[in-house]
Amino acid sequence: MGGLKEMIIKGGIVYDPANGIYGEEMDLFIDQGRMALQAKGEEIDARGLLVMPGGVDAHSHIAGKKVNTGRIMRPDDARQGTEPRSAVCRPSTGYTVPNCYAMGYRYARMGYTTAFEAATPILEARHTHEELEEIPIIDKGALTLFGSNWQVKECVRDKDLAKLAANVAWGLCAARGYGVKIVNPGGGEAWGFGANVKGVNDPVPNFDVTPAEIITGLAQANEMLNLPHSIHLHFNNLGKPGNYTTAIETLDLLKDIKPSRMRQVVHVAHMQFSAYGGTSWRDFESKAPVIADYFNCHNHATMDMGQLLFGSATTMTADAPLEYGNARLTHNKWSNHDIELEESSGVVPMTYFRKMLVNAVQWAIGLELALLVNDPWKVLMTTDHPNGSPFVNYPEVVTLLMSKPKRDLEMATLHEQLPKRTTLAGLERELDWTDIAIMTRAAPARVLGLADKGHLGPGADGDVSIYNLRPDEVDTSLDHALVKKALANAMYTIKGGVVVSKEGRILAAPPGRTFWVDATVPQADADRLMIDLEEKFAKYYSIQIANYAVQDAYLPHANVIRAGLSVPQEVA
Amino acid sequence: MRSITITPQKAFCISVEAENISPDKFAPLTLSQIKSLVVWQGNRQKTLSELFVVEGDDAPAKAEELTIRLIGDFSQVKRIGEGMTAGVVLAEESVGMHAGNNMLGGLLSISGSADDWLAREMRGGKVLVMGNAGNYVGSGYRGEKCGMRGGEIEVRGSAGAFLGEHLCGGSIRIAGDAGDFAGAANQGGTIFIGGSTYLPGAEMSKGTITVKGEAKVLPSFQKTEIVQIDGLAFQKYAGDLVDNGKGELLVGVGSS
Ligand SMILES: [Zn+2]
Repeated sequence: MGGLKEMIIKGGIVYDPANGIYGEEMDLFIDQGRMALQAKGEEIDARGLLVMPGGVDAHSHIAGKKVNTGRIMRPDDARQGTEPRSAVCRPSTGYTVPNCYAMGYRYARMGYTTAFEAATPILEARHTHEELEEIPIIDKGALTLFGSNWQVKECVRDKDLAKLAANVAWGLCAARGYGVKIVNPGGGEAWGFGANVKGVNDPVPNFDVTPAEIITGLAQANEMLNLPHSIHLHFNNLGKPGNYTTAIETLDLLKDIKPSRMRQVVHVAHMQFSAYGGTSWRDFESKAPVIADYFNCHNHATMDMGQLLFGSATTMTADAPLEYGNARLTHNKWSNHDIELEESSGVVPMTYFRKMLVNAVQWAIGLELALLVNDPWKVLMTTDHPNGSPFVNYPEVVTLLMSKPKRDLEMATLHEQLPKRTTLAGLERELDWTDIAIMTRAAPARVLGLADKGHLGPGADGDVSIYNLRPDEVDTSLDHALVKKALANAMYTIKGGVVVSKEGRILAAPPGRTFWVDATVPQADADRLMIDLEEKFAKYYSIQIANYAVQDAYLPHANVIRAGLSVPQEVA
Repeated sequence: MRSITITPQKAFCISVEAENISPDKFAPLTLSQIKSLVVWQGNRQKTLSELFVVEGDDAPAKAEELTIRLIGDFSQVKRIGEGMTAGVVLAEESVGMHAGNNMLGGLLSISGSADDWLAREMRGGKVLVMGNAGNYVGSGYRGEKCGMRGGEIEVRGSAGAFLGEHLCGGSIRIAGDAGDFAGAANQGGTIFIGGSTYLPGAEMSKGTITVKGEAKVLPSFQKTEIVQIDGLAFQKYAGDLVDNGKGELLVGVGSS
């Protein structure tokens, strides 16, 4: 299949909010795999149908050691969703932790063309890239974990911002990573001693630093390096009742930092898990309105929902103490992992129940956040796959956001105490296709800093999804079942100018690209950093520094984005 | 009553996956539609009639009015009667792995022997085996926390290892011996073993395991009392105490 064919998409109702197009009937052109102003060639009849840019998932756990640990722990999950090979596809397995091939096919079927793995320790990045390379069709990238890294904490302690920036640039290069992920900063280190950090000002054992200093230090380094993405933060105390105060406190630390690009200073991962009130699970309640209010009054932060849905999930995170708690709570199997000088992590299978009040409140919080934040550019639609639910359930989330009657139907099946613990029942707002196109396409691309994704302007990637829905005729509030069905299997998914999926059938499975960021720093800072690192590798690491970095051979379809001190600053 | 007879066309050296051999799958179909049901041999997709001779009544009927007779050796044919809710499957000789798994109702009767994973994760109905059964009878499949939840399994011969692992309900009766670790992680089912076994009830939290013959008992079981059942004396144990279990283990005194 050549990706260089020309293509015309005729007469679709196009939603391209990044370019100010909100449901206009127009023709689209693709040439050389990119959106163009004119083209000839194959015509696709999209008359009257919903057309959007290819979906972009900015936070999903699709590759690497913890995903694979989930697979190993859950042969019961592998049995669900098995599909035999076809002329185009390799076999699929799994539901919450699908095999690599299934990840690509299932995203493509829904009209998604890009997904970013949300957490990779540098030490295990090689494994992540081996899996990313095996995920067909979609473009990918992986965020790199820095929040409990020894070298990071020493740079923060010494208030050596230049060395910290050099450390981040070196780590991204070693991991072939895309951006700075911070998970429960300091907690991974404390967990090595069976403890956790309890707030942003709680000192990290053996390092004279606090989570607050780690977060602000990495945010400043991120902006010094002019990275396309901001810091991507999983708060301290995530998943605990009463943690909304930690969320607000943390966001306040960052409000005066100036972004180096036209984007947020901090992206908050799976906000739902950090919008909790109450003092225990017994008086657990939603604090989504307080969080939403903060986002409505400030412009330095974005979030993704981390929506929870009822049924099977597999929780996986570099927040190891959280997973210890999950395992104790559910008596379920548990994987706990120590990643040398970098992180700790855990995996626990989970089932969310409708009749369990805590789960029902969690379900409501994700929706409240998306409905209460006025600006859809600040809220990305995710389920923190597979922590809240597998990504194949995105059509369910979208229809819940678009239909108040659907939410009412769902709520009627949930624990009767729910209306006392959340405001969801009183929320009348129903999102429209513009909101959805922003939250699933335009905003994730902007949040990640992917200039050629999430829109359909000339030069953008030729990634287009066409759905068997007529926006002019379908009442998304009442016909939610129809909408859900149409979103589950796009009529056409076009990736880089190639029709990869048609009505749920994969027609082509070309390899996707992997984005990573190569940031340059002054040589003097890099040299100072190397002295520290060489000592750490000699003393503590289980491998030699020469064998540490991911080689380019692991990224045969790399797409390198340059950043760093020598890159001219964007003019605002 | 509707009757369908299935006979292998030859001996299979590559095993066949035939979850479509089930009263529920056959019920709404005519004979020619049944013949074109899909089965897999290794990684090749085939139709039922490519591998088997299919004969019998043509007119569709309800599953509860349907009897499927398996004539000849089915020991290389897997997943017979998977998920069946009603009706009868009668095998004249032996059947392959995973027979009757996820079964919800009806009768699966096997005159020969059954291979591993017989009636795993069964929820209802009855499975009867005149010969022996393999390992993991009525257990949960890999990674599953719950095995059989309901129904009845009877094996007139012996069973292999891990009989009823992760049992959550229902009852299993083995006339002969059971292999190692019978009733491991039992969470509420009933097991009766007419012969002997080795280390029964490891990690059991609930349920009852009765062994008429001999059993090597784990040190994490505590002797309680001697009880009489049908005129025979049994030593009763509580356990598995490693898991703070509330299970009951009864082992025959002075038999064999
Ligand atoms: Zn996540």
